[in-house]
Amino acid sequence: MDSQHWQSEGPNTGNTVIKATGGGAHKYADLFKERLGISIEKEDEMDCLVAGANFLLKAIRHEAFTHMEGQKGFVQIDQNDLFPYLLVNIGSGVSIIKVDGDGQFERVSGTNVGGGTYWGLGRLLTKCKSFDELLELSQRGDNRTIDMLVGDIYGGMDYSKIGLSASTIASSFGKAISENKELEDYRPEDISLSLLRMISYNIGQISYLNALRFGLKRIFFGGFFIRGHAYTMDTISFAVQFWSKGQAQAMFLRHEGFLGALGAFMSYEKHGLDDLMVHQLVERFPMGAPYIGGNVRGPPLGDLNEKISWMEKFVMKGTEITAPVPMSPPGTTGLGGFEVPSSKGDALRPDASNLNVGVLHLVPSLEVFPLLADPKTYEPNTIDLSDHGELEYWFTVLSEHMPGLVDRAVASEGGTDDAKRRGDAFARAFSAHLTRLMEEPAAYGKLGLANLLELREECLREFHFLDAYRSIKQRENEASLAVLPDLLLELDSMDEETRLLTLIEGVLAANIFDWGSRACVDLYHKGTIIEIYRMSRNKMQRPWRVDDFDIFKERMLGSAEKKPHSYKRALLFVDNSGADIVLGMLPLARELLRRGTEVVLVANSLPALNDVTALELPDIVAEAAKHCDILRGAAEAGCLLVDAMINIQDSPRESSLSVPLMVVENGCGSPCIDLRQVSSELAAAAKDADLIILEGMGRALHTNFNAKFKCDALKLAMVKNQRLAAKLINGNLYDCVCRFEAAN
Amino acid sequence: MEGNGIQVAKLEEKKLKQYEDEVSHLALDIGGSLIKVVYFSSSSCCSSDDEQHGFLKDGIDASSGNLNYRVLTGRLHFLKFETSKISECIKFLSSKRLQHYGHQDGEAPASEKRIVKATGGGAFKFADLFKEKLGIVLDKVDEMRSLVAGANFLLKAVQHEAFTYMDGQKEYVQIDHRDLYPYLLVNIGSGVSMIKVDGDNEFQRISGTSVGGGTFGGLGKLLTKCKSFDELLELSRQGNNRVIDMLVGDIYGGMDYSKIGLSSTAIASSFGKAISENKELEDYRAEDIARSLLRMISNNIGQIAYLNALRFGLKRIFFGGFFIRGHAYTMDTISVAVNFWSKGEAKALFLHHEGFLGALGAFLSYEKNAFTDFTHQFMEQHSSKSESSCSTGNGFESLTCDDVKDSGFIECRVQVRN
Repeated sequence: MDSQHWQSEGPNTGNTVIKATGGGAHKYADLFKERLGISIEKEDEMDCLVAGANFLLKAIRHEAFTHMEGQKGFVQIDQNDLFPYLLVNIGSGVSIIKVDGDGQFERVSGTNVGGGTYWGLGRLLTKCKSFDELLELSQRGDNRTIDMLVGDIYGGMDYSKIGLSASTIASSFGKAISENKELEDYRPEDISLSLLRMISYNIGQISYLNALRFGLKRIFFGGFFIRGHAYTMDTISFAVQFWSKGQAQAMFLRHEGFLGALGAFMSYEKHGLDDLMVHQLVERFPMGAPYIGGNVRGPPLGDLNEKISWMEKFVMKGTEITAPVPMSPPGTTGLGGFEVPSSKGDALRPDASNLNVGVLHLVPSLEVFPLLADPKTYEPNTIDLSDHGELEYWFTVLSEHMPGLVDRAVASEGGTDDAKRRGDAFARAFSAHLTRLMEEPAAYGKLGLANLLELREECLREFHFLDAYRSIKQRENEASLAVLPDLLLELDSMDEETRLLTLIEGVLAANIFDWGSRACVDLYHKGTIIEIYRMSRNKMQRPWRVDDFDIFKERMLGSAEKKPHSYKRALLFVDNSGADIVLGMLPLARELLRRGTEVVLVANSLPALNDVTALELPDIVAEAAKHCDILRGAAEAGCLLVDAMINIQDSPRESSLSVPLMVVENGCGSPCIDLRQVSSELAAAAKDADLIILEGMGRALHTNFNAKFKCDALKLAMVKNQRLAAKLINGNLYDCVCRFEAAN
Repeated sequence: MEGNGIQVAKLEEKKLKQYEDEVSHLALDIGGSLIKVVYFSSSSCCSSDDEQHGFLKDGIDASSGNLNYRVLTGRLHFLKFETSKISECIKFLSSKRLQHYGHQDGEAPASEKRIVKATGGGAFKFADLFKEKLGIVLDKVDEMRSLVAGANFLLKAVQHEAFTYMDGQKEYVQIDHRDLYPYLLVNIGSGVSMIKVDGDNEFQRISGTSVGGGTFGGLGKLLTKCKSFDELLELSRQGNNRVIDMLVGDIYGGMDYSKIGLSSTAIASSFGKAISENKELEDYRAEDIARSLLRMISNNIGQIAYLNALRFGLKRIFFGGFFIRGHAYTMDTISVAVNFWSKGEAKALFLHHEGFLGALGAFLSYEKNAFTDFTHQFMEQHSSKSESSCSTGNGFESLTCDDVKDSGFIECRVQVRN
């Protein structure tokens, strides 16, 4: 629904129109009109289902997954090979729809034995008060007490001749017929499980038979019956596998249950918002998202205070939430600030399952990084958090960081009472997400460390902590810029080979300044920046843990056999503010510029920890350029010095001679980077690039450590986390990685 | 059979004398819920030759080596017991002097096995019980094979075996023997087996569902406290499923969802109304529950059967098994389901002796195993009234319908090779 209308005063001039689908859109049209003054514009149910499913499958990564024996497996659907597929929507009844394309579909079958049957019969048989309670019961059930199994008929034997094992259900509820038991004598748990199996198997079977009939490879199951309920998905998967003899697999949609509503929402776009659809949606995790009630979203909360108090209400266990949905004002969350809401079922329980759905941010310009060697197989995350031990570790790390982070965030907002309240709310919200993820790591799609770290940043922004490290970054930039001239002098006095080594050492040494690292935060309390930098650089003992420096050196400077390679353009993915950028990456950039290589500094679009942002970079470069002709010329050539450098107007202009130094934003607001989603600016800048330098743990280790590129790539980082060091490079804290990979 | 040079004899219309209560061949189908029994009793005075004794004695003459044939007239009996009351079945069998059966003559050594063909899961499960109580060794015949043999036999040998049932109208279908295959056989017992039949002994179980007669009986019993399957069926006749089922019209405010061909009375969700109304189980009429349940299960079976027929391009779907029992509403619902999903292209066909396919198939397997020299051919069906209620004496019900359902017999002539 269109939230704009909610803000209009009072109900109402009568021209508020919301899109609705489902039978109730017809049935309750008058009620809505009368009570709310809202006109329901009825969208065809099937149209909406299909539009919703097509949208989700195309726009959202890891939307589809398989579910066997409790294990989720995410399936990446090739957009160009999506159709035809079978869509099985399990609501009260079941609709089976063959989808051939956008807007092209046919309801080929269905069954009246669906979610309504489960809930209806289940209610009569068990006296459960809610659907969820009934599902819950089934998890503790044993269907053998009620179902007649093949083994019951065959005296414990299989009927192997036709492939039926002794444990196959021969007749659902078949045992109840002959036993001298009443309804009361059966455990509700067992009844619920028998019922669930009966209905799930039946749906799986009928779906498979229909897929077979039309030769469809993929069957997607959606609808409220599934509700992310593992057992339901397992039984349906089992049925499809059983009947297809393993030829077909059931797939599920993470945002199942909202297909219809989403489709109805999409229908707004038919009326003038078409082009939004070409953009990619990125799912983010603001706190408000999980609590969107029903198919109709409430008004956004203009005032953050409301949101926080609402949050507080929410976190009280057992509270039924019917409150309006918290939504940040446009522009404050995500990059585009345009939110396509998804909605959640009508029963809002403050338990884990409510945190299933993020808010989809429509980001108008995210693209796949064009220099990825194989975008299809690219996996950003180096560490797979589906390993529970790993997840637990990071959970602990993030939890331990939290108090410090909250303090810092509150301080960045002036330490006011309001900031404190927001800080508390942030802590609770983020903890809730973490708890949810611990319970079900795949709750928001395939979980990698990058997602986890991004979640934290999103959460901060959600509570209006726009840049918790602002003052720290500023202070460190200033301190580093002050010592930069000396460093440049020192470098210029070296021969080429020593200089290159010192530069790389400098990058690695300066990378120690990282507020994301606990070990590093401890260091800060012990010394000044330049001291730490020098100490750190002096300790650089080669060979490093991963040491491809000689290969890189040969590439850059040449050797007896080889001529030096002259790069045309280098993309430098930079990491932290302060020493890292000023004393590490800028001097390296300067060296490349000196050798005639265009340099593009790639920085975050939004703040994350103390990472430098694309917005902050021009000022830093301008300041550095005051003391360095090379940087100045390049910055001018790259149009970085339009305003900042008025005072050097009279200096000799070398811009025509210099290769440019540029800054682009990477399109993300996380310490890591997923190269499937970069800004179009970066994608464009990558066109002529033939060297990529990824710097820092987040971008070169946590993500992209294994990424392969079409051009040469250098990955530089100091490992400031013992576990990561041990896991990734079999090394120790403060070990260094200098990995050079020639073009694929 | 051809190799045996059997000739087809004709049943002569004549007054049948009183049968001697002598059971000759007997076969069992012991399913999850029911035991189906088929046996032949000959009328000792009705054979077309001069023999005055039962064929078992006549069998002795076979030692001459001359193949000669005699035609015996008798009855092929069909009856059933509940599997949970297997003792009744055993009591009945012992009362039928089965001990005589299976001997070439009365002087066979006591240790000689008495073998009875049996199929269904219970043939395995209860083998020891039969051995112990009756001294009978159950010779296990594959369940699917029996079903198919029984169905093939009935469709070929018995006129007016197959019929369609729509809107309460029964219509017999004459099946051309040469154009019988392939067809889909749906046997609805406790569970449901779907078998593609390609020839006399060629078949494959292609599908099935656990939602079958046992589900109807089991869920029905839990929901209504009905004591028997028949009572439940009876109840369903007086029920109205709209009370509990969510219809398309309930969702669409009385309108059809015509775009996809769903009328307002189509069931959108079985038992779907039980969700939203503030009613407990006790507030619903047992009749309505039984009706909803019957529709749900019949409809589902009809749909899955049709989808399987479609998959293999089968024109005919025969429904058999005890769930149907000639129950009009069940057949109607299955027919409607097949008709609906096939858009009128396919029709559900039913068998008169639907409940006894397995037992009959097991019965027929005797000839193949040369257990005796006995071969038989059923020529024609005569009266099949169910007045013979199988006399188990303790509450075993006979149905009120005219057709053969739970029990009854076919009068027939068998040709015996000496």
